[in-house]
Amino acid sequence: MDAVSIRDTVLSVFRKVAADQGRTLAPLSDELPLLKCGLDSLCFAIVVASLEDSLNVDPFNADEWVDFPVTLGEFIKLYDRTAA
Amino acid sequence: MRNVIVTGASRGLGLEISRTIAAAGYRVLAIARAPTDELKEAARVLVGSGGAIEFRTCDLSDPPQISPLVRSLRADFGPFYGLVNNAGAGTHGVLGNMRDLDIEGLIRLNVLSPILLTKYVTRSMMIERGGRIVNIASVVGFTGYSGLSVYGATKASLIGFTRSLAREIGQLGITVNAIAPGFIDTAMTEELNQSQREQIMRRSALRRMADAIDVARSVEFLLGEAGRNITGTVLTVDAGNTA
Repeated sequence: MDAVSIRDTVLSVFRKVAADQGRTLAPLSDELPLLKCGLDSLCFAIVVASLEDSLNVDPFNADEWVDFPVTLGEFIKLYDRTAA
Repeated sequence: MRNVIVTGASRGLGLEISRTIAAAGYRVLAIARAPTDELKEAARVLVGSGGAIEFRTCDLSDPPQISPLVRSLRADFGPFYGLVNNAGAGTHGVLGNMRDLDIEGLIRLNVLSPILLTKYVTRSMMIERGGRIVNIASVVGFTGYSGLSVYGATKASLIGFTRSLAREIGQLGITVNAIAPGFIDTAMTEELNQSQREQIMRRSALRRMADAIDVARSVEFLLGEAGRNITGTVLTVDAGNTA
């Protein structure tokens, strides 16, 4: 999957999880800190599970330690790198 | 058909649970190190009945096997409805004499593996926004029994895990409960001598031991419609031994 598709998939999962969980998402941009995006930690667990389902990768379950990204842009890049 | 993973499914309680819930119409994804003739026979008699038992090999004492197992089950059978964390060892021993490696192995199999398996299985349940987790604990987790201190610690830990996880994922429609069987006649309790058995029965309100089928029916209850509003609790099945 190319980088554009991964970005689209990530953004679409964020929107779906927010809608399902009754959360209001902040306007999505690369600079948006994840802590301020409107999702809580359980929502992020659902995001990671959903992305594993659609992209078949889980960057947080790799052998090497991965720090949780700070911004939405870093989050998308992490999936780009892992899926590559 | 709803998929329910049952660990330690090849014998004892796990086999009885698998037979019972498969007969109730679930597709049991039976996990064990190796299939037994009893499990194969149970799968055979179910053919055409509406339920099913599908066997997969996994050594749950080796945690790195768990994530690939869940991925392959999901690919082969689809989303999970239920998980019954039944696999466990009941190693008996005076703590002071137990080998460190045996203590560690018991904690790995009885605590770490069910927690990891639950982590990966609930990911699928979170996406589906529903599911049932049943952890098989033991009355030893809250009453204590000489020679079972490590086993008791592992079962108490499953109860703590059950209660907190129930609160964590309840809002997604996933229930998490534990069943605490008393002493049941299975291979795990064969070390008990006749006098110990009689003592257990004498001390039980109903003057008998519970059977594996009682535990299996309790699992079926928690998986079914009747269990939809029960979460974060421990169901004791011990013929009144701890009453």
